[in-house]
Amino acid sequence: MLIKKMWRDLIRNRTQFIAIYLMSFAGLLIFVGIDGESAGAARAAEAYYKQYNLCDIWVQGAGFSDEEVSKADKVTGVKDVEKRLTLTGTADTLSGDDTFMYINFLTSNEINRLMLYEGEPYDENKEGVWLEEWFARTNRIKVGDDFTVKIDSMQIDTVVMGIVDAPDYVYYVSEADVMYPNYYKCGLAFMSPLMYPDPEDIMYNRLIIDVSEDMADDDSISVIRDKLKNTFDRDDIAITDRHQDLSFATFDAEIKQHQSMGFMFSVVFFSIALLGIVTTMARVTANQRTQIGTLKALGFSNIEITVHYVSYGFVISLLGCISGAVTGYLTIPPWILGMFEGSYLMPGLNGVLTHKSVYFTILSVLAATMVGFFTCRKELKDPPAVTLKPPAPKKVRHSALERSKLWLKLDFSTQWNIRDVFRNKLRSLMGIMGVTGCAMLLCCGFGTFDSIDGLIDKMYGELMTASNKVMLGSEADYGYAYDLSKKLKGQMIQETAVELASGDVKKSGSATIVGRGNYMHIQDVKLRTVELTGNGIAITYKMAGLLNVKEGDYIKWHLVGDDEWQYTRIAQIYRDPSVQGLTMTKEVYESLDYTFNPTAILTNMSVPADLTNEDEVTSVLNVADMKKSFSETMEMMNAIVFIMVFAAVFLGIVVLYNLGVLSFVEKTREVATLKVLGFKSREIRKILQKQNIWLTVIGIAVGLYAGWGMLYIICTTVSDTLDMYPVLKFQTYLYTIAGTFLVSVSVNSMFSGKVKTIDMVEALKGVE
Amino acid sequence: MFKKKKKQENEIEIVDLNEDDTQEDAHTVIEFVGVCKKYSQGENEFYALKDANFSIKEGEMVVILGPSGAGKSTLLNLLGGMDSASGGQILFDGSDLTTFNDNQLTHYRAQNVGVVFQFYNLIPTLTAYENVALMRDIKNNTLDPTKALEAVGLKEHMHQFPSQMSGGEQQRTSIARAVAKNPRLLLCDEPTGALDTGTGKEVLKLLQEMCRDKKRTVVMVTHNSLFAEIADTVIRVRNGGIESIVHNEDPKDASEVNW
Repeated sequence: MLIKKMWRDLIRNRTQFIAIYLMSFAGLLIFVGIDGESAGAARAAEAYYKQYNLCDIWVQGAGFSDEEVSKADKVTGVKDVEKRLTLTGTADTLSGDDTFMYINFLTSNEINRLMLYEGEPYDENKEGVWLEEWFARTNRIKVGDDFTVKIDSMQIDTVVMGIVDAPDYVYYVSEADVMYPNYYKCGLAFMSPLMYPDPEDIMYNRLIIDVSEDMADDDSISVIRDKLKNTFDRDDIAITDRHQDLSFATFDAEIKQHQSMGFMFSVVFFSIALLGIVTTMARVTANQRTQIGTLKALGFSNIEITVHYVSYGFVISLLGCISGAVTGYLTIPPWILGMFEGSYLMPGLNGVLTHKSVYFTILSVLAATMVGFFTCRKELKDPPAVTLKPPAPKKVRHSALERSKLWLKLDFSTQWNIRDVFRNKLRSLMGIMGVTGCAMLLCCGFGTFDSIDGLIDKMYGELMTASNKVMLGSEADYGYAYDLSKKLKGQMIQETAVELASGDVKKSGSATIVGRGNYMHIQDVKLRTVELTGNGIAITYKMAGLLNVKEGDYIKWHLVGDDEWQYTRIAQIYRDPSVQGLTMTKEVYESLDYTFNPTAILTNMSVPADLTNEDEVTSVLNVADMKKSFSETMEMMNAIVFIMVFAAVFLGIVVLYNLGVLSFVEKTREVATLKVLGFKSREIRKILQKQNIWLTVIGIAVGLYAGWGMLYIICTTVSDTLDMYPVLKFQTYLYTIAGTFLVSVSVNSMFSGKVKTIDMVEALKGVE
Repeated sequence: MFKKKKKQENEIEIVDLNEDDTQEDAHTVIEFVGVCKKYSQGENEFYALKDANFSIKEGEMVVILGPSGAGKSTLLNLLGGMDSASGGQILFDGSDLTTFNDNQLTHYRAQNVGVVFQFYNLIPTLTAYENVALMRDIKNNTLDPTKALEAVGLKEHMHQFPSQMSGGEQQRTSIARAVAKNPRLLLCDEPTGALDTGTGKEVLKLLQEMCRDKKRTVVMVTHNSLFAEIADTVIRVRNGGIESIVHNEDPKDASEVNW
């Protein structure tokens, strides 16, 4: 019978239980979805890298001999070494005859193994070319088609043998500044050394090294890198590991971004939902006080009654959590992971149900159950004679305000509302919390859009003020760059990779060496534009934080490809949103005995279209393209933000609706009394709305503040390479305030509309 | 079996029944010995009941009579094991309820007591039948719910929810629920309080039948002195004390009472 009672009670209090269901559902949907997405991406990467044996160490240099290969193979910890030649060239495709190509001449292909989609598996003794799948698909190239690549003056005419993916090319772009891949204009090809025009004279420029599994941690790899350096004893090589590899690092950063943002957001969301569940459950149970007393008086034991009431929360939250977790798992990961396509060539992207998700499900069910338990226990503490009576009225103390003279000047509705708020502190607090949560998530969500916008504006409006960037290839010498910069009235810069170290911490970053000109700017920690001094190097704020150094300290750094460490004083700390590392003037760079070798020229002049035909120029990028490309990389972040905004509104509605129902039920008698006394429904509605507006205003104020805090945390933890500043635009305040108000007021007017329907006689009857 | 001289401050009228010591069949079910119930609110102490002494025999119909706030409900709550006394002994079949722990009290309520509440206290989400059948969850050898409801004349409304029934029907359901438990003690708190005269009379009749035909001990709390006429014993309560205990030689039939 009690089970029957439970089901009927669930139906009777359906608003509350649906609210609990929805909150459990939404809390778990968001948490499991976002968690499953980032965990799924991480797992796919791990599996892919493992199965296709992504190398642990890269050695780049000119012409590796077989002798060097076998020497490297003998280093402790090294499992396997393979040499390959990686070149860039062009191919004739749908998008034109100058499609940018990465061309790899592979030997055995035991490391960085190709994953075959179509055609024949790679074989170093076979002629032909293997093409990357997205590139082939975009350009409608099939197995068996003729394919021609040009490398400098060499031309290779061959046939497509297979369509593949490679674990070391999960992410590839033609230039570092083009952040979003364009497979239409940039491709990837693999060939056997047999295909090289002069196979006898092939000079392998890369060694890829696989480390034995027990040595695959960062520390051991660093040790192996040092050993390799000694083994080769050459100045012209660069030894890097996965963290410096563009493909690995970019994908890794993407996952970390999702994890930090997703976790933060879903935990906040989950907590608010949980709070809603807990308070609702407590109130629903407490409202059954008389029934608890009756059951007890009839002779049900405390245990039977407790089990009965605990099962409400258990059943509903279990249903809500499980359906939420399942829905979250089934919908969000495919949606977000679907967006990886086109940016990342990662096979096997599927959502994962993590342990964390299971724990949160259990936690959530447990919370709803425990609340039922404790509330019920509280009611069972007294003998049935006491529980059968309505609870003793709360002791009322006059607040300081009520004693002041001001009080008497307030009108009745204000007095009534002030008393009501203070007498039902928990309910009022819950109302504020609901509004706060809604405002906070909205503010943080819109703020994330603002911050990404702010980041782009800063990068391409304040820090780099040129409208075009001419990228120079390795053929361009200083003389050429100098002449071109004169012609374009431009500024020469050299961008290169570095490794920085302080104490035990090593980080890879990028170095920017700036020639004379006025297109590159830096901003100090307080975001004021400052001049780059010539007294030393400047390092980015984020990098300084990672290395735990400050202005005036010395740090060690070296160029990637040059093993000579520099020990230089940090003259300035500056902030850069997207590139972390160091910057210095050409003069400082040259004083360290390096040769300034410009890699790009920044200019505001329009660049002649035929400039790219010159061998020294690889491409010309304009600011609009760079902005577009950057915002495309933020697409997935935007998706998460979208979920956040959507969830905020949903949560706001559920929490506020639910609270509205509960408060309305509790206020029924008072409202009926007011009606009996002769208040018009319209006046009563005004009184009720007044309180709601107060609570909403407080909630929004707290929510904006909390939202800023949440945004700040997201911005500072989002990744090692992004230094985002929290930005809240005026519109965000507007949207947040208006949005929250709309949700809160419209939900409340649904209830105040019910004032008319209260039957005075019925409402006042029935209680002793 | 013994009868105590009631030491009341007010002059009380005692009808000594010592002579029916011979009637060995009349077994004492419950006995109050110097029972008091104290409530304290901060510094203030307030006796809802002080030094109550009386006993109730098996199969007796007892009416506890008194104005509001006299301590009748307290007395009933103590009888039903729904509240604990602050002093004295409450003997049920010789065992002292005041020494019972929570579990023992629950067991006592479940096995021995049926309560008819003033406001019925039916479970709103269960039908009349289900409310009565609920007792099967607590106790073995309960009466058949259909029969219990039939006995109170509710066979036709059996599958209605409390909110669909009139006050009298709800009260009768409440009685059916108490009776179905087949309890030793049937306790009724103002069973006619919320009912009109006609319905009230039917309820009274029903309770009297329980007592006379089914040999149940019925204790009824009321402020209506007319009900004294149908009781075997009338206990008058005033200001937390027992004013008088009167045994009716010839109780009236419920149908004869008019109010």
